[in-house]
Amino acid sequence: MSEKNTKRYLPEGKYVMMGNVAMAEGALAAGLNFFGGYPITPSTEVIEHLAKRLPEVGGSCIQMEDELASINAVMGASLTGAKAMTATSGPGLSLMVETISMAANLEIPFVFCDVQRFGPGSHGPVTAPHHNDIGLIRFAGHGEFQVIALAPMNCQELFDLTITAFNFAETYRCPVFILSDAYLGHLHEPVYIPPKEDIIKSVILRELPQDYSKIFSYKDDETGEYIIPKPPIIGTDYYPPTSLQLPHNTMGLPISNALSFIEILMEKVNSNIEKISITEEYRLEDADIVIIAYGLPVRASYRAVDEARKEGIKVGVFRLITVWSFPEEKIKTVIKDSKAIIIPELNYTGIIAEQVERVKKPETLIKKIPKVGEIHHPDEILKIIKEVSI
Amino acid sequence: MSGLGPRYPTEKPDHPYVQHTFGGNLFGSYNSLFCAGCGYGIIGHIFTRVFEDEKLDHKLYPLIIGVGCYTQIVTLAHHKSQKFSTLHGRAPAVATGMKMANPSLKPIVFTGDGDCLGIGGNHFIHICRRNVDCTILIFNNSIYAMTGGQSAPTTLYGAKSTTTPYKTFENRSDAVKLALAAGATYIARTTVAHPRTLMKYFKKALRHKGTSVIEVITPCLTYFGSKNLDSLGAENLGLQGNKMDTGGKMIEWIKRNTVRKNQAEFMDDAELFNRYIIGEFRYDNSKIEYSEAYSKIQKVAMGED
Repeated sequence: MSEKNTKRYLPEGKYVMMGNVAMAEGALAAGLNFFGGYPITPSTEVIEHLAKRLPEVGGSCIQMEDELASINAVMGASLTGAKAMTATSGPGLSLMVETISMAANLEIPFVFCDVQRFGPGSHGPVTAPHHNDIGLIRFAGHGEFQVIALAPMNCQELFDLTITAFNFAETYRCPVFILSDAYLGHLHEPVYIPPKEDIIKSVILRELPQDYSKIFSYKDDETGEYIIPKPPIIGTDYYPPTSLQLPHNTMGLPISNALSFIEILMEKVNSNIEKISITEEYRLEDADIVIIAYGLPVRASYRAVDEARKEGIKVGVFRLITVWSFPEEKIKTVIKDSKAIIIPELNYTGIIAEQVERVKKPETLIKKIPKVGEIHHPDEILKIIKEVSI
Repeated sequence: MSGLGPRYPTEKPDHPYVQHTFGGNLFGSYNSLFCAGCGYGIIGHIFTRVFEDEKLDHKLYPLIIGVGCYTQIVTLAHHKSQKFSTLHGRAPAVATGMKMANPSLKPIVFTGDGDCLGIGGNHFIHICRRNVDCTILIFNNSIYAMTGGQSAPTTLYGAKSTTTPYKTFENRSDAVKLALAAGATYIARTTVAHPRTLMKYFKKALRHKGTSVIEVITPCLTYFGSKNLDSLGAENLGLQGNKMDTGGKMIEWIKRNTVRKNQAEFMDDAELFNRYIIGEFRYDNSKIEYSEAYSKIQKVAMGED
């Protein structure tokens, strides 16, 4: 056992790591036991790295026959109590949607790394970033459920947020996505690995449920709170010997009220939004122009804000680290007094811009900066800042 | 099946889920959701009996169920066995994940002809190739019965279904040949008309370390029998054919339409056309099991070997 533990955590220190490798190391630090994957550019380095590292710590990393099999194997592994993960890119995600929906409905926890890329085919610029899956992960599922999605912007965060993602998966029992992209996944940057003891303290372990008649989320009738028990595990006494596909109650037995079942799936996450929502504010104190960004465009935005501040424009960045579920209330307070909102996104539609439009005041100006296949230059954002500041 | 069986004392075991899985309790009544004349009642019964006879540990033998009529077997299968209903066709992939995450388990996979040879054909090939330690039971009623009688990859040539209203013009796929080619290590085929053989094969598969595939030919009276004549499989005899409108007639048809493996060796393709060859096709203990092979890799990676 000691052997396994020493190999699971890299010695404390600074490393130069590729984004995908940092994500894989973060998963290992979070206690990953099972990885099922299928190679797809640009996420391939995750499975390549874990194929070497997971057996060293006693886990299994399997290259399955296709994406459908990978995600189903991940679901099976998670059911037996392993911390499981898969990594893929756009076309792979489309194939996995069916199983993600099912796992969400059965509250099977797992982490999903989505290294987003441009285009569906294999003959396009697939090593270019395109935040096109951001709407898919939230709205594609069959049935209704809420997901959590975290958007890192550098390799250090890929490591740290992967640990957070596993903790969220264990706590809230819903699919947790890490929204990387082709440039971020292939970026080499210094990553600080904290000491082993600190990592162990921050990781939430897989535990058995307290009571075998309470294994699925339910609404407490007295307090009205949504309670999320630990997941049932096959191979222990805490697994119901019945079919779980139907709308079920906390015991896993079928119920006729499907609405209350869906309500629990949605509200168990939404009611905890204060704990789930991670955001960052940059020079926002007196800003009357707010840039709302997530992922790679944040880096260009920070630089553009610094330049604009030199010229006396009051602008700041509100960064979404948790993209889903969408922190409506926080956004409302941030944009309360601002005269303009700028949203640089790596897609044309502006999926987060749509969400912001939903909560902003009618008179507030909103300006999207769409970009596909390449990243924003700070000057482009600066130009827009100057435009709206006049 | 409903209510026709002998009535045993209704002694209920002390378990919170027993109300919903009581049909699978050996000492209860055998109520099922299947049509009259369906073979799945027999299969559920056999599973429950073997589970009880072999004193299987319910924690070590999870039952992974695909999508088809047989998904309702959860109400018949042993009340203690831990069941997981997967998506259509993905049961072998789920079983692989379970086995690799916890090698002490031995998944039992219930899958159908459309589930395993149609939508999940790829997963089936690869679980056989990997030789993952699990028992796969393929229920072949040669029709998509759950959705109302559409043609399946296993539908016999010339048979009628709702999507082939004139006749089936496709060649059928053969689960045993596929498993043989893919590399499963225990392969057998039997029918629900031979329940004791099925029990024997099932017990043998449970003791075998590696992928075991048992194809079970089972009747679908409602959607296959009602549309087709019992001359299927006897084309070369030039029979007129009678309607298969009762469960008994379908069982008789299945019995007549099956050929033992040792007999089949002396028969040519024309004689075997549209018929099922039953028997054991491979029993190979020499191949290494998947999770065992991976544990060796783990030892190398850990530097112990």
